[in-house]
Amino acid sequence: MEEVVGGFEPKIVGFTCNWCTYAGADLAGTSRKKYPPNIRIIRLMCSGRLDPMFVLKALLNGADGVFIGGCHPGECHYIKGNFYARRRIAALRTILKQLGLDKRVRSEWISASEGDKFARTMKDMAEEIKQVGPNPMRDKIL
Amino acid sequence: MKGTELNYEDLEGFFQGLLDNKVIDALIMPHRVGNKVSYMLVRDKEKVASPESVIFAPSFGVNAANVVKGWMIDNKVGIVAKPCEIRAAIELIKLKQLNEESVLLITVDCSGAFKNEDYAEHYAEIGNLVDSAKLKELEGKGISIREACAICENRLADIGDIIIARINGKVGVAGLTEMGVKALSAVGLPLEDKDLERREEKERIVAEARKRLEELPKIDSVEALEAFLQDCIVCKNCRDVCPVCYCKECFFDQPLGNPVGGDLLNLAELRGAIEVPANQLLYHLTRVYHVCTTCVACGACEDACPKSIPLTRFYPVLAQKVQEIFEYVPGKDTKEPLPFTTYEDEELEECLR
Repeated sequence: MEEVVGGFEPKIVGFTCNWCTYAGADLAGTSRKKYPPNIRIIRLMCSGRLDPMFVLKALLNGADGVFIGGCHPGECHYIKGNFYARRRIAALRTILKQLGLDKRVRSEWISASEGDKFARTMKDMAEEIKQVGPNPMRDKIL
Repeated sequence: MKGTELNYEDLEGFFQGLLDNKVIDALIMPHRVGNKVSYMLVRDKEKVASPESVIFAPSFGVNAANVVKGWMIDNKVGIVAKPCEIRAAIELIKLKQLNEESVLLITVDCSGAFKNEDYAEHYAEIGNLVDSAKLKELEGKGISIREACAICENRLADIGDIIIARINGKVGVAGLTEMGVKALSAVGLPLEDKDLERREEKERIVAEARKRLEELPKIDSVEALEAFLQDCIVCKNCRDVCPVCYCKECFFDQPLGNPVGGDLLNLAELRGAIEVPANQLLYHLTRVYHVCTTCVACGACEDACPKSIPLTRFYPVLAQKVQEIFEYVPGKDTKEPLPFTTYEDEELEECLR
């Protein structure tokens, strides 16, 4: 694990699907890939289970970033769950974009064999969110 | 399209004919109450009196589609309303909140509408019928149409089963669907090929509407949104009057969405302090997501807001961008699938990260 020297360490809430991205994260761990420890993973059975409200709630409760992971389009365990998820995430991010919040939400298709991609994505995202800065919602009275 | 031309006075006979010939069992249409306009549900044809003086009236009370939301009945009901209301009804059909076979959608041309209270106050000046020249003149006197109407691109009737268009001192009545054409021939109208597209006028309206949209103050950050919603009391009127907000039990009426007592104390402990009534921001953000593909920009939410928050600057404006990425225009066609019920194998990747 990289050494944390003070500074801002973002908290990222991750929603990953059981069959691909969660397994991908598992593979990253078992194959001892290094990635920053900023993500807190919540496992869903499918990215299609993600209610965009989860993302809104996480952001309003002060999460610095939200990561959504699913199987590659066309490889969903439930055939088409991630196709629907893709539409929902695109719509949600379009709304968030107008409020300047879209940089905090990111999704990626990561299969069970892509431990490396998971580690890389986590590293990228942690860096990105560090650039964006802490979520001001955390300290607000909402 | 198949249609014919009528005089304004002939509309009474037309609507009565629809009821008389059992084309429909009932009719929802505007009627006049003093200086105001509201909707009535008619079963006795005698109650339809000089509709021409009221169906084009530039006043917006409720969205008529909201009245029929959830009516899964076998009887047939005609709805005479403005384009935005009919568009909402079409969305409700797609959302399975309305039976397509049980409604006859009759769209009338709209010139833009005033808020109920503005219309009642200035009725003497506004009158029953307005055109764009008259609107300009009234605007000069400080009497403006609703913001939602100013940014509306769909004022001309071009959807539904039957359209009633205003052309050169007459009305053009035409059927757009098989059901509509059948209804017109059932009341004995001589049908001929009629072109009521009015492309040039439409282009003019669209250009004007886009200009007005650009001029609206933008809500471009969470801070701006917080300030915008500062007066919100979370009464949820905007949800109740929204024609396309239709959940049987809203999340924000359930314990998680509407926490009380101990739940609220726990939340306050978690964050140190919370705003009450709770979930103000989450409520509006969730709602804008829920209606983002189906919002017809009718502005009913703004009219219903007891705190006069100009919600037109929020809901339709944010929703429009979402509708753009799906290239979807709500309420255009009952056959077009809702964006969230369909997908393509390759799409939208640029919107995800």
